[in-house]
Amino acid sequence: MSGHAHLDNKLPHQPELATLEGRNKVLGFWLFLGGESVLFGTLFATFLALRDQIADGKPGTELFQLSTVALATFLLLTSSLTSVFATQALHRHNVKSMVNWLIVTVVLGLGFLGLEIYEFFEYVHEGHKFSTSAFSSSFYTLVGFHGAHVAFGVVWITILIAQIFKKGLTVVTAPKIYVAGIYWHFIDVVWVFIFTVVYLMGKVG
Amino acid sequence: MVSEHSASDQSAKHRHRQEGPGKHIVAFIFSIVLTLIAFAAVMSSEVNKTFTYIILIVMAVLQVIIQLAYWMHMKDRGHLMPIIFLFGGALIAFTCIVMALYWVWW
Repeated sequence: MSGHAHLDNKLPHQPELATLEGRNKVLGFWLFLGGESVLFGTLFATFLALRDQIADGKPGTELFQLSTVALATFLLLTSSLTSVFATQALHRHNVKSMVNWLIVTVVLGLGFLGLEIYEFFEYVHEGHKFSTSAFSSSFYTLVGFHGAHVAFGVVWITILIAQIFKKGLTVVTAPKIYVAGIYWHFIDVVWVFIFTVVYLMGKVG
Repeated sequence: MVSEHSASDQSAKHRHRQEGPGKHIVAFIFSIVLTLIAFAAVMSSEVNKTFTYIILIVMAVLQVIIQLAYWMHMKDRGHLMPIIFLFGGALIAFTCIVMALYWVWW
């Protein structure tokens, strides 16, 4: 493969697209994201259809703490910016800067997860359990699925950082970093829908 | 920014001249401002309900466009297939939402 010519320190500008395998990975990942949008679409559909079925539980207008959500949103938006900086460092072949930005991204992601866990604990404490009502079940399923995606992304990017330390930046490792960045932005875009549809619209009632 | 100055690097730099942190920081600031407007509309009690909904939806749509275009590189060349995949998924997702709402409320 022509890609092997690049393995000796001379990476092309976009190393993630240098080999056919890399290009296929990026394209296949977009196909996966198409499937992911269907997944989240069905969860949003379920939530929207059931959000008024609160049974004995509290409605969103009383439950949601917007300050926590605002902080979580800020963390995730910032992590999207740092993740794009990592991709830019990848294009400049600046491995050190790339790894640093990836670490910042992971830390912000962990901060987001911490806030979400704290938030869920509070809700359960206030009697908003998974089985309380159709509203609570669809809420935890939708927001929890997003949280699980963030957790997966944190683990994934952490492993990628370890692999970069071991193998360095090559035409083999570059597509992985690039694709993880795209994944992270996608998770951020899903969160934009969640804070708008679930929290803000839920607070308005 | 680039330490080696081989010929291929130079041409690569030339082709991707606009790729600085600048536009991403601008996109970030836009995202934050749009988010703040959305939160402020909900938190202030003076805005009425219907108008709040409209503000929220407009802010979310603008924000998604900015993020897809800049951060997910969709405005860059060679992203036709990604756009087809993502919007294909989004179309099915949207259909699911409309179907579920119609099914439940009918």
